[in-house]
Formats: sequence, C-alpha cells, structure tokens
Amino acid sequence: MVTSGIIYHVLRLLSMPVDIRNICVLLAPGFSGLTAFASYLITSEMTTSPSAGLLAAVFMGITPGYISRSVAGSYDNEAIAIFLLVFTFFLWIKSVKNGSAMWGALTALFYGYMVSAWGGYVFITNLLPLHTFVLICMGRYSPRLYVSYSTWFALGTLASMQVPFVGFLPIRSSDHMSALGKFGLKDEDCGNRLTVPGVFGLLQLVAFVEFIRQQVPNKQFQTLLRGLIFVVFVVSMGVLVLLTVSGVIAPWSGRFYSLWDTGYAKIHIPIIASVSEHQPTAWPAFFFDLNLMIWLFPAGVYMCFQQLKDEHVFVVIYAVLASYFAGVMVRLMLTLTPVVCIAAALALSSILDTYLVAENPIPKEPQSNGQARGDSVKSTTDMIKDSLRSTRNPILGIYSYISKASVVGAVTTYLLLFVLHCTWVTSNAYSSPSVVLASKLPDGSQHIIDDYREAYYWLRQNTADKAKIMSWWDYGYQIGGMADRPTLVDNNTWNNTHIATVGKAMSSREEVSYPILRQHDVDYVLVVFGGLLGYSGDDINKFLWMVRISEGIWPEEINERNYFTARGEYRVDDEATPTMRNSLMYKMSYYNYNALFPAGQAQDRVRGSKLPADGPQLSTLEEAFTSENWIIRIYKVKDLDNVGRDHASAVAFDKGNKKKKTAKRRGARVLRVE
Amino acid sequence: MNLSGLLALTLLPILCLGAKKPSFVGTFEDYHVKSQSSAPLRLDDASYDDLTAIPRNYSVVVLLTALEARFGCQLCREFQPEWDLLGRSWAKGDRHGDSRTLLGTLDFADGKGTFQKLMLQTAPIFLLFPPTTGQNAKRDGQPIRYDFTAGPQSAEQVVGWISRYLPDGHKPAIQRPLNYVRIITVTTTLLGIVSFLSVAYPYILPVIQNRNLWAGISLITILLFTSGHMFNHIRKVPYVAGNGQGGISYFAGGFSNQFGMETQIVAAMYGTLSFATIALALRVPRMSDPKKQQLAIFIWGGVMFSMYSFLLSVFRIKNGGYPFHLPPF
Repeated sequence: MVTSGIIYHVLRLLSMPVDIRNICVLLAPGFSGLTAFASYLITSEMTTSPSAGLLAAVFMGITPGYISRSVAGSYDNEAIAIFLLVFTFFLWIKSVKNGSAMWGALTALFYGYMVSAWGGYVFITNLLPLHTFVLICMGRYSPRLYVSYSTWFALGTLASMQVPFVGFLPIRSSDHMSALGKFGLKDEDCGNRLTVPGVFGLLQLVAFVEFIRQQVPNKQFQTLLRGLIFVVFVVSMGVLVLLTVSGVIAPWSGRFYSLWDTGYAKIHIPIIASVSEHQPTAWPAFFFDLNLMIWLFPAGVYMCFQQLKDEHVFVVIYAVLASYFAGVMVRLMLTLTPVVCIAAALALSSILDTYLVAENPIPKEPQSNGQARGDSVKSTTDMIKDSLRSTRNPILGIYSYISKASVVGAVTTYLLLFVLHCTWVTSNAYSSPSVVLASKLPDGSQHIIDDYREAYYWLRQNTADKAKIMSWWDYGYQIGGMADRPTLVDNNTWNNTHIATVGKAMSSREEVSYPILRQHDVDYVLVVFGGLLGYSGDDINKFLWMVRISEGIWPEEINERNYFTARGEYRVDDEATPTMRNSLMYKMSYYNYNALFPAGQAQDRVRGSKLPADGPQLSTLEEAFTSENWIIRIYKVKDLDNVGRDHASAVAFDKGNKKKKTAKRRGARVLRVE
Repeated sequence: MNLSGLLALTLLPILCLGAKKPSFVGTFEDYHVKSQSSAPLRLDDASYDDLTAIPRNYSVVVLLTALEARFGCQLCREFQPEWDLLGRSWAKGDRHGDSRTLLGTLDFADGKGTFQKLMLQTAPIFLLFPPTTGQNAKRDGQPIRYDFTAGPQSAEQVVGWISRYLPDGHKPAIQRPLNYVRIITVTTTLLGIVSFLSVAYPYILPVIQNRNLWAGISLITILLFTSGHMFNHIRKVPYVAGNGQGGISYFAGGFSNQFGMETQIVAAMYGTLSFATIALALRVPRMSDPKKQQLAIFIWGGVMFSMYSFLLSVFRIKNGGYPFHLPPF
C-alpha cells in the first residue's frame, strides 16, 4: 500500500532504519491512535463538555468493533480507512460550521484519499449529500452550507476520478457493481450516485431562490417562486427522460433498489452473498463488539436532539443509516462503531458532568421557589418552544452526596466492566491468527493446530517454482504469500467468471473438471477439509457457494438442486446425491478418508454424519499431501496418459485384470452404438 | 458401415409406420390449434401421454401442479397466474407454431396416474420434453426437470429457462396486461394524499416540526436495527420455538442465531437502559425537590443496574464462555 510506502520512505529520509515489515505490522495500531484522536476532535465539535471527546477517544481505542481491524499485524485497507472516515466527517462538520472553503477542500482531499483506500467511501458519498439535503428540508439553508458542499462536491468528485478504478463513474451511474465484487461491500447502491449531483443541483436552486428573495419584494417573489418551481420540475423531468432514453445514464437500474431489497444480492450476485462478512448481523454480535455502548448509543442520539445544530443533525443521520447498514452486513459494523463511540461518549459525559460536581445546589424556599420557578419556566419554555420534553426546565443540579456517589459508582463499575470485556474479546476473538488454530486438550493444556503452515511449507519445498495451485479464493493470498506459488484465483480476484470457473471445476464430475484443469495449467489442487477435526470452516461447507456462483455463469451445466437430496437436505453420507458424490470437491475431501477408521465407521465430525463404506475413487488426480489433521489436502493433477488411454481406464488397469476386462467390454459396447 | 446400414434397415419400418400414423404428424397441429383458444393447455393423463409419446418432433413444457385447496400448495397457487400469463403470451406471440413448443398444465386432480408414474412427491414441477425427431432432436428424449427451489418465479424467468433449452429462434415476449385497477387506485390515492395534505397542512406542520417526534422515530429505528431486526428479516427466523418440554424457549442457542421474540426482548432491554440513562442525565438534575430527586435517582439507578445485569446474563446464554456478570442475575 502506498501509505506504508510513504511512511517507510519518510522514515528512511529521517535516517531511521525501520524495516518495511515493521511498518506494515504497526500501521494498523498507529492509525488506530489517529482514529482515536479524530474521534476526540469530532466529539468536541458536538458539545462544550471537554470530557466527551476524551471518552469518545478512549471508547474508540478499545472497543472490540474497531480492535478487530487495528491489532498489530492486521494489515488491511480498513485499518486506515476508518481513520479517514472519521477524519473526513470531522472536516466536513468543521466546514459546515465555519462555511470555509478551506475546510471543504480538506474534506475533499481526505475524501479522495478514502476513495483510493477503501470501497466504503460510498458511505461518505451518500452521507454528506443526505446531510445537506436534510438540512435544506429543515429550512436550514445557509451560505455556509452552500460554500462547503459546493467545494466538497467539485473537488471531491475530481479527486475520486483520479482513482483509476472509479474513473468517470461518479458522473454516470452504471453497473460497476459486479466488478467491485466482494470488496465493494455495499456498492450495491452505486445507483445512488445520482444523489450527489442531484443534491448539488438542488443546493444551487435554493441558493438562487434565496438570492432572489433578497432582491425582490415579497409579493412578486411568491409568484416568481411558483413559476420557478414549475419550470424546474418540467425541465428536470425532460432532461431525465431524455438522458435515460438516450442511454447516457441509467438511473432506474435494479442496483438502485438492491440495498433496500436485501434479497437482491442473494439471488443475483452470489459471490457477494457468499462472503461470511456480508451476512446479516444477529444481536449478540452487536453486544459483543460494542458492549455497554450499545445502550448508551440511543441515549446519546437523543441528547443530540437537545440542541440540534447542524452537526447534531449529522450525527443523527449517521446513526440511523449506519445502524441499518450494520444490521444488514456484519462487516459494516465497522462504520457504525465511530458514531456509537461518539454518541455513547456524549451520553456518558453528560451523566458524569452532572454527578461529579462537588458542591450541592441550595434548595430554595418552597414558596419563593414556586413563584420564581414559575416565571423562569415560562420564559424558558417560550424561548425554546420546540425543544425536547425532558429538557424544558432549567438544570438545577444534584442535591445529595449519596445519590452522586451511587450513580458515579455504578457508572465506574460499568466502565471497568467495559474494559474487562474489551480485553477479553480482544484476547479471545481478535488476536489469534486465522492460520494457526488453537484448541484445548481435555487436561486444559493448549494444543496448536498448525496444518495450514505445514501444508504451505510443503508446497514451498516440494513443488516446482512455477507450479500453479487451484483452490477456492479464500486461500489465494495465503498460498501466494506463504507458499510462494501462483494461484488461479485469490482474495483480490475481481473477475466473477474466473471464480466461477474454479467453482465449476470443483463442483463438476472429474471428466468435466479435468479439461478445465488442463486448460488452466493447474498442477495442484488444494482443498480444506475439517471432517476429521470438526473444523467447520472447510470447503464442503463453502461448497454450495461455489455451486451457486458457477451456476450463475453456466446454468445449463451446474444446478444447485442436484446437490440436495430429494427432501432438500444437504448431505454427505449414503444418501448424498450422485451429483454431490461425483463432484470433484466431494471426492477430494473424502478420498481415502475411510481408511482412517474401522470398516464402515468413517465419520464426518463437522456434518456429524456417517460416510459411505466405499470411499470415492479419483482417477485424474492423485493425492500429493495431507496435513497432520487432514485440514489441508493437496492433489496433483495427473498428466495425460502415456498410452493415450483415459484416466479412468488407466486406473482400472492398474487395479488388476478383472477390472480391465469389464472396462474392455464396456468400451466395445460404446463403439458399436457409434 | 455395416452397423449403420443395419440400423437404417431396422428403423425404416418404424419410420414408415410413424409416417402413416396420422397422430404423429398431426399431434402438434391439433394441440396447437387447441392452445390458441385456451392456453396453456389443460391436460389429463391421456392427453399427457399422447403429447409426450415418443417420437415427437416438437417440444412440450408441462407444469405439474396441485391447485386444489386441500393439498395446501401455496407455491402452486402463487405461480398459476404467472403461468397462465405466460401461456397466453406464448399463444399470442406464436400463432403459427414457429417455435414448435406446446405449453400444458397437468393438475394433480386430472393426472394422478402421471404423478404416480413419475413418483413425484412435490409440486409444482416443470418438465420440458425436447423433440426426439427433426433437426433439433435430443437423443435420449428424457425430460428436463425444473424445481421451484427459489420460491415463486416470474413469467420472464421461466421463459428464460425454457428458451435456454429450445433451439435459437423467435421466442414470444411476455405481454403483461395493463392493470387498470392499479393505475386508478394509485392515481386516486395520490390525489387524495395531495388534497389531504393541502387541507391539513397547518395542522400537520407543527407535528412534523416536533422534535420529540423525530427523536422518537430515530430512537426506535436505531433500537430496531441494533437488536438484529434485519437478521430476522433476511433469514426469516421463527418468532419463538418450543424447548422440547412443552414450554417456550425465548432465546435461541448459539451466537449467530436468534428468534423474533428474542430481538424484541433485547430491544426492550436496550430501550429501558437508554431511557434510564436519559432520565439520569437530563431529567433528574432538573427536579426541584431534593427528596423526590433522591428517590428518582435510586429508582433509575436501580433499574439500570439490574437491567444491565440481566442483559449480561442473557448474553451468557448466547455465548457460553462469557466470564463477566453483575450481582443480581
């Protein structure tokens, strides 16, 4: 990544000899610090209380929802993207507050950086126009808003167009969804790109109307306004129809609705739905990642309504949108985390500020109090007529030490618990590498399962330098990095057809797969099999997605239904369908597996089912390597037969005479029919 | 050479027989004429056998369905209008029978024998019989089967599936009839809303501008989403489930699993906790009576503490190894 390269060169320039590897490892924690600082800044814009910003920074620093991306060694785009997200929002709020073109330009700059770093930039692209739009609807148009939005729109669009991948897309809304594939996360809403210029146009109109209002007397203004609205409506409809008909823009494409129609991706883009991070979020995941902040969050949002300045409107919109997105996709929990930290800090700091004041207010005499209060209440309610119900009376304070102590004590307990929770979650869920699995033996000692590294090391040592490995794309980067061998598809493959080809090879019969393997010069095939150990993230469990993805490209040849039994169950045992049992993936996973067990007792510990007594036979592949716990199995693709037989008959020949005869007889019969 | 000659000799009489038989030549034409008046064709056991008999020089698409209410086939009834529409469009767009394709429906009530013969347990099912003679013949003549695994399909999707197996050529497009009722309903509703708004505008405006309303709406939305409502919506989880002993289990086992009611309970807990926070932070400091304030603080603090403790205990159900808890629960 460019960022780490720049840091490396800057440090070298300062004659600090730091290894590039150390920079990469420490990049995420470093940027996590910056994120904490950015959330301090943005929270300080929201409130006058200085403690809120500090709380937000602390929350941001330790919340599991963000720790998952900021532990040392998690070298990922998201590590810097969240910092950019929060900082862009801070700059935007600053520019709306001050109406300064400089802050707007800075927003655009960081927006451009964000575009180059992460597909989640679409979140900003949608949130800022929405904020502007809501402000206009609330009648809060101001020259400040005009300046900041125009600056951001012009410069930000230019900046994002510099990124080759985005190109001219900001101008036309088109289907670059499938290309974005797994990475573009919610890029389903690329159709929404129309909103950005749309809001820009609206802003220009409103500015124009405001300008006229100042110039023209009131009565004529009304007539003028009506005429203007009519003309604008007709003209914009005309232009829209014209452009749509001429095919320049496609505003009503199916993508437009896809984020709202949550079933869309599952039917039309299986590759997106297949990624586990793109599954919907169950409630324990929210609590796991955010702990007590999850219930401080609504309270904080409520407090934003207290003052409801422009920046508070922003937080409210952000909160609602991000919680929707986080509910739809686990991965987008990452965009929710900053706003949760901000809102929770607002709520908690308001409690602490109230209850940590040492001096008590003096209770006034009932009579005089009643009169005085009546007056003051009246005047304040007149002043803030449209404020919240719970904040109509003036703040008096807390009278007794005992209540202060109890509340502060409880809050401190919650906070300590929060710290414990974060430490526990981080150590349990987010710090162990996914390549090395740890398990506990019955006596409590730790047992390390190191099959991945074992297999990758085997590949590195025992295969030719140019040997091509085929595996499902999840393992592409690992094979590339740790075994140093080229792979057919990896985590960064954007070509859906390519992935589908691998899926087809895995899910077809050997006779169909072998030509595919030959065409792609595959030397080894790698599968992950967890049946022996009970490791559920294996390829048989991912298999249906392979089938679905390849069905999207070859609907005539692959049919998902064929992999389910007549009763619609996904089974691997005796009742598995012939298609399932003849698929390359099934054969590779269970090849020779029953040799481990006494006859007829082979068992798959993931699916919890007994396997057929006769294991599958492979003819076009031969087993090359199986790791200690059978998690990784590597097969070598056989070369074409020397004598020109097909592989099935060659294997039959090798097995002995008897099989050979039957094979011969069959062959003869085939000839006659032709 | 020898073989092929033999084959031709054996086939010749059959072919001659077939040519003489009027049914073979006329089957398609007969049924095509019928389908012009009532499409798709309504078949029974006899006509099904007649249509799908080998040899045939045309394709047949049969929908095997069970429409009667007593079978309770929801999918069949949902799909039937689409299928009728497809049949009508096909008949209209293919008046001369260029596609050489017939569409038919076999209801279980009319064709029990066929269902038994095919050993069908489920409905609806599509069978597409490719031609066995003629230039587009498939050798085995076995039907291609299509199950409704992905729920009800639209007519366009089905046409896409059919045309994948038919030879290239003109395929009739689906013509959906204009839904006048819907147009009128939409227009009337729109006009109604517009007039209602223009009349009631002065009364609605303060409601729309009410901050409490918007605060309420956004809080409810947030609570809904953070308690996993979208998961319920996408995965279509059950509302509650029995625990196997006649009771109800409110909380699903497992970290990434939940029930509909469970999320509501969780949302209520979050709501209570948030409300307690709001009360402690905003309301209580505004109370003028020290005694009342003291009481309110104890009540809200207690509610918050016990509710949080309960939340943690619920979370421990979901995540077995979770080590933290607060006293009461």
